[in-house]
Amino acid sequence: MSSDPEIATFPASLGAAARSVRRRRRIRGSSIAVFVFLCMCAAFVAIPLYVVIVTSFKPIEEVTLGRIFALPVHWTLTPWYKAWNTLCTGLSCDGIKVGFFNSLAILFPSLVLSIGLSSVTGYALALWNVRWAGTFLFILFICAFVPFQIIMIPLIVLVSNIGLYGSVWGIALVHAILAMPLLTLIFRNFYKDIPRELINAAIMDSGNFWHIFREIVLPMSANIMIVVLILMITTVWNDYLVGLTFGGISAAPMTVILANAVVTSRGEVIHNVNMAAALLTAIPPLVVYFALGRFFVQGITAGAIKG
Amino acid sequence: MAVRWSRVAPQIALTPALVVTLVGFAWAIGWTIYMSFTRSRRFPDYTIDPADWYAQYDRLFGNDAWTTSLRNLIVLAIGSALAIVFGFILAAMVEREKFGEGVFRTIFLYPLAVSLIVTGLVWRWMFNPSLGIEAFLHQLGWTSAQFNWLATPGTAMYGIILASIWHGMGFYMALMLAGLKSINTEIWSAARLDGVGLWRLYTEIIIPMMKFTFLTCAILLSLGVVKAYDIVVAMTNGGPGTSTWTPAYFAINAYSTRSNIGFASAAATIMLLITLAIFLPLVLITAWHNRQGEASRT
Repeated sequence: MSSDPEIATFPASLGAAARSVRRRRRIRGSSIAVFVFLCMCAAFVAIPLYVVIVTSFKPIEEVTLGRIFALPVHWTLTPWYKAWNTLCTGLSCDGIKVGFFNSLAILFPSLVLSIGLSSVTGYALALWNVRWAGTFLFILFICAFVPFQIIMIPLIVLVSNIGLYGSVWGIALVHAILAMPLLTLIFRNFYKDIPRELINAAIMDSGNFWHIFREIVLPMSANIMIVVLILMITTVWNDYLVGLTFGGISAAPMTVILANAVVTSRGEVIHNVNMAAALLTAIPPLVVYFALGRFFVQGITAGAIKG
Repeated sequence: MAVRWSRVAPQIALTPALVVTLVGFAWAIGWTIYMSFTRSRRFPDYTIDPADWYAQYDRLFGNDAWTTSLRNLIVLAIGSALAIVFGFILAAMVEREKFGEGVFRTIFLYPLAVSLIVTGLVWRWMFNPSLGIEAFLHQLGWTSAQFNWLATPGTAMYGIILASIWHGMGFYMALMLAGLKSINTEIWSAARLDGVGLWRLYTEIIIPMMKFTFLTCAILLSLGVVKAYDIVVAMTNGGPGTSTWTPAYFAINAYSTRSNIGFASAAATIMLLITLAIFLPLVLITAWHNRQGEASRT
């Protein structure tokens, strides 16, 4: 670094002035370099989205020209219409809308089941004296990281035996099971900061377990609920594996139908329709992300570290 | 009495979670491990041949696709580690410049909201030789440009790595940003006063201080790599040949295509062992970190 010794020979005031000019100029130079680098990285991240959007609005004749970065000459909504209504998956040509409604039908029961189950569990573990709470939390911690493949086959056997295989309820149940350990840990970490005196006072006040949960704990959980909600919406909506292995043919979520249409189906590949279908699949979590960005970051990092 | 009730009610409330843990995790893991010692094929077969209980593992490690999968796992782990490196560089830059922090963060993080299936399909489209980036470069006049990575077994894995980095970079940046922000601001000004150079400041002070964040990132990355399945399906579906198979892909394929429960269970069991091998250090480090935290607080 240039901690210029020659500056010391200047008269003090001049030296200080020269130094401040120097420093400002140096910082600005490196700032520009950093800014350019950041912009290049941002371009690398943003370009795929741009390409997909542009391609999905092009008529097929323009797509085959291979000008991947060019804007459409003739903007068209036909690919979007086709993706929604007539996209073919090898078995049928009902479009991605079937998957969209399946995904919605999976999403709501999974949210209710997983959040209901884990918030109560987290609350009980955080604020009530349960003797084996420590051990249980440790086991949950391990379960949160277990690969899905190790429990997949027995769960398929189990879910088939209770007659839910191939239904949206079966998928929702598996999502709730998979999410339970992590969500419980997140809720427990949040609830353990509620002052004990508050709970003790409530117990004195003849509040019972459920009463305290409903009247005191739930009203305090708005923040954590949003975080967990975002985490679950993106996980469930973006899931492919559970939908594939538990959905059968009739309950396949959007991601499965999309992958079938693009990857496995034989025959003519219609790129602009595929890109529109991919966008349609990506839009719901992206909307959540852009609308609730701050909570999204919290949710993702909570999901990662707090576990 | 309230005291009595306060003992019973939580236990009742915990029952569903306990059942889920015991059935959905403990029993299911035990079942899969048990199955890996049997000769089950399409349907579960509960007899174990005591003389030949490791038959599935024998077959597994004799299988070329499995060896490829394990090799790909390591390649993918090393390759995607670049996401951590870039994540740190971006976090450091965004943190230093302050200017446009929100905008950059929003851009770098959005891939995380996109599913791996969509990510894979999008990059598959970019890699398309006649319509994607390669065609664009050729039109620019750079006719020797090669960007058709997914079509050759030697480079297909790099395509998947590129897409994984694209997807994960923002996530590691967010973790690193959180780590950087927790560093005491006095260190920055003290370093400036002492005339410590930028490079030395980061390599000798900041990075050592953030070793816990780096370890967390590395472990999360490895766990993610072990689970890598969606992105492989969407980009190459395992091809060309079996060159981009991963253990996760292998296990699902053994179950759904080969309909071989015993074989799939053996692959899944090895996946579990790999996960535990990665996971154990995390537990130890967390415990150590917590104790340090408590020690510094008291």
